[in-house]
Amino acid sequence: MGTRRCKIMTAIRFENVTKQYANTTQPAVDNISCNVDEGSFVVLLGPSGCGKTTLLKMVNRLYEPTSGTIYLGQQDIRQIDATTLRRQIGYVIQQIGLFPHMTVAQNVGIVPELLNWQRDRIRQRVDELLALVDLPPDVYRDRYPSQMSGGQRQRVGVARALAGDPEVILMDEPFGAVDAITRTGLQDELIALQRKLKKTILFVTHDVEEALRLADKIIILKDGRLIQYDTPFNILSHPANQFVYDLVGADDIIRQLGLVRVDLAMKPLPADFVLNGRPTIARDDNLRRALSLLLNSNAPALTVTEGDQPVGILTLNNIQAYQ
Amino acid sequence: MEYILNRPDIILRLLGQHLFMTVSALLISIAIALPLSVVLLRSERVASAVLGVLGVLYTIPSIALLILLLPLFGLNQTSVIVALVIYTQIILVRNMVAGLRSVPSATLEAATGVGMSSWQRWYRVQLPLALPVILAGIRLATIVAISIATIGAKFGAGGLGTLLFDGIAQNRYDKIVAGALVVGLLALLLNRLLLLAEARFDPLKHVEPS
Amino acid sequence: MKKLILALLVGLMATAVLAGCGGGDKTVTVASKDFTEQFILGEMYALLLEDAGYTVERKLNLGGTPVTHQALLDEEIDIYPEYTGTGLLTVLKLGVMSDPQAVYDTVKADYAEQFSLAWLDPAPMNNTQALAMTRDRASELGITTFSDMVAHADELVLIGPPEFVEREDGIPGLKRVYGDFEFADILTVDPGLRYQALLNGEADVVVAFGTDGELAAYDLLSLQDDKGLYPPYQVAPVVRQAVLDENGDIADILNSLAPLLTDATMQRLNNEVSGNGREPDEVAREFLVEQGLIDG
Repeated sequence: MGTRRCKIMTAIRFENVTKQYANTTQPAVDNISCNVDEGSFVVLLGPSGCGKTTLLKMVNRLYEPTSGTIYLGQQDIRQIDATTLRRQIGYVIQQIGLFPHMTVAQNVGIVPELLNWQRDRIRQRVDELLALVDLPPDVYRDRYPSQMSGGQRQRVGVARALAGDPEVILMDEPFGAVDAITRTGLQDELIALQRKLKKTILFVTHDVEEALRLADKIIILKDGRLIQYDTPFNILSHPANQFVYDLVGADDIIRQLGLVRVDLAMKPLPADFVLNGRPTIARDDNLRRALSLLLNSNAPALTVTEGDQPVGILTLNNIQAYQ
Repeated sequence: MEYILNRPDIILRLLGQHLFMTVSALLISIAIALPLSVVLLRSERVASAVLGVLGVLYTIPSIALLILLLPLFGLNQTSVIVALVIYTQIILVRNMVAGLRSVPSATLEAATGVGMSSWQRWYRVQLPLALPVILAGIRLATIVAISIATIGAKFGAGGLGTLLFDGIAQNRYDKIVAGALVVGLLALLLNRLLLLAEARFDPLKHVEPS
Repeated sequence: MKKLILALLVGLMATAVLAGCGGGDKTVTVASKDFTEQFILGEMYALLLEDAGYTVERKLNLGGTPVTHQALLDEEIDIYPEYTGTGLLTVLKLGVMSDPQAVYDTVKADYAEQFSLAWLDPAPMNNTQALAMTRDRASELGITTFSDMVAHADELVLIGPPEFVEREDGIPGLKRVYGDFEFADILTVDPGLRYQALLNGEADVVVAFGTDGELAAYDLLSLQDDKGLYPPYQVAPVVRQAVLDENGDIADILNSLAPLLTDATMQRLNNEVSGNGREPDEVAREFLVEQGLIDG
């Protein structure tokens, strides 16, 4: 094979990264340093103009930093030819950007093709990915983007980003252009996908709910500076300053509950437990959902399940006690 | 009309000369217009300026332009070809720029993002998507070129215009009619052929939004 | 696809360059002015040279005298048929002479000195400039001579080629010899369109050439040049001296034609084309074959 594939370590490290445009006084990205762990889903969150997209685009060298270094694994990305680098990083954008004159299969297979894979291997990979994003290959392989809905198109976009089996995926407000209902569905699928694939994902959004829902960790940016970098729960419970507090609505208990797993607050099954038609909830679901279920059903308790198996019970008191 | 049938040999010879001038001019013009258009994409300001100049050149009556070119290139086909290149530039550049601009920037960004080199991005995404508009420009330029090339006959370049000018000089109406007919038919034919090409090269031709 | 186009382009350019180079040696460019007699003469020169082994590029129907003369000076063409009287008055801008030999000697000498152009042997025909009218119109106004015409000028519309307005033997010459006058209107057109206008009444007087077939065909009256404005107009090939030097036999080849071109012959040949609708090249070829100058 002709292309030189460099061995990428999977963490991303930002070291004093700054981006200053010539005709402005304020840098777009101001001296940011942080590490992104391998396999983690990190969200870049902030108001518009905070530099989150600029920072993201420096990772695949669509922009170049004015100063500072970005490392992919151990390697300074400036040492790698930009085109080669991009073939090893998945990239999903808000307007999706599928090639309208190519079929879904050709779109998804573009990176493997650029990497000179064998045709059979590409075909196999395309089918695999289409199945993964829930677009049956037999139906969708030969369709064209204009024949599909916005949500379907973005799933193709995600499949395209995964096709070359990159370690790192960059996503720039990928669900911004679809309606709220589709967006929730796509977020669910992304969560499921990440659980399976464990990629390193850098995800840009200005939507706080989305950030809290998807992220392992959130980098909060304002005016190009890194304000806080922590798990959603920690940010909600210990916001770094007033700005973060206001941004995430840190006093919103209900929001916080949305980030806590049911099985952290549930109590074990009592000895005389009988399945008696109580509403159920999965153990890895969150307390906000549990609260909602309890309030709606007026039941005294919920049965917590793992698969079909009951594993615990949860009452309103349990939730309050967790506080 | 009978003239065409009586002297197919003359008609074919003149047709050959006419096509030679038209096709050469078009190929040269395309070879200039395409890179020029790519350069003009970068700056709106420069693009307007260049299109403005080309537009002015286009309004110069073709006989006048040709006469101005004669001292430089001589009483032959070269002068006509140069004139045709100048006239077709504005049509081609305008359409090429429009076609290239019509490719959505998100699509181009995606092309860069997946790791296409500049050449690949140009050749596999930008050019194919711009092609229908570019081909339309080529088609229009061809029609214009066929028409203007007739004037070349007055300046020693041959071509179908010879029938027109000889007809005038010899008071031969049938030659004039023959010349006009053949030029018209040629234009119609090439228009149809290029329309077919446009349809065939349309990268989105398969697509019916469902 | 782009590579294919590039290849085609290069190929076509190469062809164009090669074609433009005009092939090998012994290529001669023969031109003519823009009326019937000139087409026939030009074609005859071309055929004679081809028969002798030359490759000939034809640029017939090039335009009026100024265009063809300039083309010789610019070395765009090598030969065209010119008239002694035209050379004298229009090109050299000298005064009228009536002795044919004197006119010929003058133009020959001056063209050689000023332009390095050579006049080959002249033909006996005299394609004099003429002014013609329909017999009806002429008798209506009682016009038979140039002087008569000038007297009635303000009632008359003249039609002729553009150069007539400028030429020494055109309007300026008429005014000089016959006194000042103004036509009611002057229409300038390509030579081929002159006679139609006269015949359908749009014009009264047409600038004619003495050997025009139309004069006989339409039975027109050629007005008399009573004050002798016009010199003789004998046709001869005018050739670039450089071309003659390189190709010594051109003179002999073309001179073989000259003695055969009388007024009567010229009118007959002209009429074949303009009256009988035949092609100049056919008429030229047929004549040369008949006269045994070229092989059939």
